[in-house]
Amino acid sequence: MCAERVNDLDAVIVGSGIAGALIAKVLGNAGKKVLMLEAGAAMPADINGYMNRFLNATAKVPESPYTPEVFTNGKLTDYSKVNAGRPTVLSLNGKGQFGDWQDPRQSYLIQKGPLAFASTYERINGGTVRHWLGTSLRFVPSDFEMSTRFGRFVDWPIKYQHLESWYGEAEKEIGVSADVADQGYLGIEFAPGYAYPMPKIPLSMVDMAVEKAMASLHVPGVGLDDVRWAVASTPAARNSQPYQARRVCAGNTNCIPISPIQAKYDPSVTLAEALRSGSVRIMYQSVASKVRVDAQGRIAGIDYIRYERDDGPPMATGHVTAKVYILAGNAIETPRLLLMSTNDGRTPHGVANRRGLVGKHLMDHPLYLAWALMPDPVWGYRGPLSTAGIEICRDGEFRRDRGAFRIEIGNEGWNFSSGDPDTTTVDLINGLNVGQLNGDRKALFGAELVKQINDKLSRQFRLGFLVEQSPDDTNTVTLSDRVKDHLGLPRPQISYNLSDYTKAGLAAAKTTATAIFKSLNAQEFTKAPDADDPTSFEWPPQQAGGPKSRLKYYGAGHVVGTYRMGTSEQNSVVNDQQRSWDHRNLYLVGSGTFPTVATANPTLTIAALCLRTADAILKQDLG
Amino acid sequence: MTIFTRRNVLAGAAVAAATAAHPGTATAADETKDLDAFVALSSALTGIAAAMLAPAVDPVQIKKQYFDAAKSSPSFDRLLQIFRDNATKPPEAIADVILNQSGSDVRYLGRSIMLAWYLGAWYKPETLAQYNSPKAPAGSPPADRVISPAAYTQGWTWRVAQAHPMGYSELRFGYWSEPPLPLVDFTGA
Repeated sequence: MCAERVNDLDAVIVGSGIAGALIAKVLGNAGKKVLMLEAGAAMPADINGYMNRFLNATAKVPESPYTPEVFTNGKLTDYSKVNAGRPTVLSLNGKGQFGDWQDPRQSYLIQKGPLAFASTYERINGGTVRHWLGTSLRFVPSDFEMSTRFGRFVDWPIKYQHLESWYGEAEKEIGVSADVADQGYLGIEFAPGYAYPMPKIPLSMVDMAVEKAMASLHVPGVGLDDVRWAVASTPAARNSQPYQARRVCAGNTNCIPISPIQAKYDPSVTLAEALRSGSVRIMYQSVASKVRVDAQGRIAGIDYIRYERDDGPPMATGHVTAKVYILAGNAIETPRLLLMSTNDGRTPHGVANRRGLVGKHLMDHPLYLAWALMPDPVWGYRGPLSTAGIEICRDGEFRRDRGAFRIEIGNEGWNFSSGDPDTTTVDLINGLNVGQLNGDRKALFGAELVKQINDKLSRQFRLGFLVEQSPDDTNTVTLSDRVKDHLGLPRPQISYNLSDYTKAGLAAAKTTATAIFKSLNAQEFTKAPDADDPTSFEWPPQQAGGPKSRLKYYGAGHVVGTYRMGTSEQNSVVNDQQRSWDHRNLYLVGSGTFPTVATANPTLTIAALCLRTADAILKQDLG
Repeated sequence: MTIFTRRNVLAGAAVAAATAAHPGTATAADETKDLDAFVALSSALTGIAAAMLAPAVDPVQIKKQYFDAAKSSPSFDRLLQIFRDNATKPPEAIADVILNQSGSDVRYLGRSIMLAWYLGAWYKPETLAQYNSPKAPAGSPPADRVISPAAYTQGWTWRVAQAHPMGYSELRFGYWSEPPLPLVDFTGA
C-alpha cells in the first residue's frame, strides 16, 4: 500500500458537509490552499444515480438515495464490511427483530442504551444536509441563555446579537425563502432593512386548515396558557425563485431525502463553488484516521486511509499537513476521530480532550409525532414536506421545568407516521388494518376502493414536535472496544437516555397535539408504541404514581453536542469561534459545538457559525 | 342491469379485442390480446378507467411491466380465462368473480396486480395470503420489489389521493396552496 503526502497547505478540512463546504468556499475564494478529506463517495455529475436508488428502494428512508448501500443481498448492510458506514433509521427496532438496534451486524452505531439514539447521518460528498428538509429557522435569543434566563444548563458564549449578521450571511449563502414580517417573534430581530433572499414559500392547504383552529386553541397545564397561538410560514432553503442557477420548487414532496430538481439547497452547491475557486482540492473516499499532535501541543498533521470500493481493501494511506486544521465531520464522527487520536500515548484521552469533555452531551430534538384525520379533505402529499409550523410555543417560563418545542406541520399525510400511502392502500386491498383506517378489514376493489383511498388519504395530516433535549454528560459518544469498521477503525459507541426534563417536554407535546386535534375536530390516530420499542418510555416516571402511558420519540436528524463551545477551557472543548482550547491551530465545527440544542433545526446556525469561523481563520490564522 | 359508464364501455371494447384471440401457438398478436385482457381486468379490479391505465398514446407502457410481473404466477392463465369467461359482465361483477369466487390463488394474484397498479411494487400473492392467515405476522406485508423507477412514478394511489408520487410532481410552484383538480380528472371515472 503506498504512502501519500500532501504538504504546504493553508488548511485541511475533514468532511465536505455544510460546515466544511462553507469554510472551504470562503478560504478558497480568499486564495488559500485548501485540501478537503471526504470519507464517502465523490460528487456525481448529476443526481440521476441518487434518484434511481431512491425510486427503486422498497423502504424510502432518509438514507435511501445515498451510498454506501443500505441493503446488501436483501439484508441491512453489515458495516463491519464497509469502509465508511453510517446509521440508518431502519436499525431502530426491538431486540431480535429486523433492524435490531443493538445488533452490530445491522446497526452501524454500537448502541448501549438505555434508550436508542434515533438520528442518522450521511458520510458522502455534501454530508447529511443532502437529506435535510431545508428548514432554516433562526434560534430565539433565549436559546443562547438557558442558564441566565431559566437557571438551566449553560449559556452559549455568544448571544443572538453576535450571530445576527451571520444569520443574514448564511441565509444568502444557502438561499432562504421567507418574509421578515413573519419571523420577528420571541425576540428575534433583524438588521434594519433586511430582506430574505427570496419571498416566502406559500402555505399549504394543510397549514391553512390548522391555522383555523388557532383562535380557539387552549392547551391546559403545560405552561402554554398565555400563548397567542398562530401558524407561521417556515423559512426554508428551498427556491421560491430561481437562485444560484437552481430551479424553483415544484412541490415534489420529497425534500427528505432528495429534491429531484435540486430546488432545495444542499451542500454540493457550496462544495462545487469551493472547488471552482481553483484553490480548493478534495480527496474522496479518504477517511481521516488520526490527528497528530506535536510536542508543543500543535496539530502536526492528519493521517488518512484511502479506498476505492465501499467494501474493498484500503488502497493507500497518507498524511497531510497545513497551517490550520478544521474537523467538520458531525457530532458523532468528529469526536470519534478525536478519541481515536491517542498519539502513542501522548494524548491518551484523545485530541482536544484535556478536560475529558469530548463526546459528552450528545443531543437531538427527540420528536413527538401525532397524526389525525381532518373532518374534511386537506389534500396532503402535495407541496414541500413542510411549509409552516407553530413557533410561538418555543419560549417561556415553562423552560425552567420542561423541554420546549416547536411544532412542524407535515404536508405528507401519514407517510412519516404510518408508511402511507402504501400501508393504507395495502390494508384496503388486502383486508388488513395496520394503518388503523380499515377497521372492518374489508378487502375493497373497483369504485369503492377508489372512494375509500381518496377519502382517507386526502384527510390525513400529522404534527411533529421537536423537543429541546437537555445536555446530559451521561449521553456520550465513545469508541467501541470490540466492533470495528472495514478499515479496522473502532465504531462509534453511543450511550443515550432522556432526562425527566426532556421527557416532560415530550409529554407536553402529547397534550398539545391532542388539544390541537380537538380544536380542529380531527380524529386522532396516534398509536402508542410497543413496550420493546427502544425509542419509547413510560410517563410519568415510576415514583409519580398514577396511570402511565408509553410515549414514542423519533430522531429529528439533529446530531448535536459532544464538543461544546464555552467561555473557558474548564467548561468546554472550543471557544466561541469553534477553536480548540487545547490546540491553537485546530477548529472543530458543526452542531457538535452547540452547548444546548435550542428550539430550532440546527443547520442555519451551523452555517452562521461556520461563516463566522471562516472569517476568524482568515483574520487570525491565515492573514 | 348493466349500467354503461365510461369505464365499462372502455373495458368492454378491450374485451372484444381480447376475446377474438385464436387458440394455438403464442404469437405477438396473442400477447397483445392477453395484454388487452390484462388491462381490462386491471381496470375492473382497480376502479381506474382502462384508458387511464393504458392510454392510447402511451410512451411509458407500464402495463407491460405489470403484465410481465403477473405472468410469472402459475395462476395467471387461469385468471385471464376467468376474465374472458366473464368479460361481458359489468366491471364490479368481473372483479367480484376474480376476487371472491375463484379460489385463493386467483384472489391473491388479483390483489398483487391491484397493488402493482396502485403502488408500482410487486407484492407476491403468497405474501398477501400469508398476512391474511390466522398465523399472520405483525405489520404490513412487505413488497418483494419496486417493479421499476417508472412503476413508482406511475403509482395510482397518489393520483387517487389527488396528489402525485413523492419525488415526482408535474405541477408548478405554489400549487399546494390551492385545492387539487377533481378526482375524476385523475382517474377518468
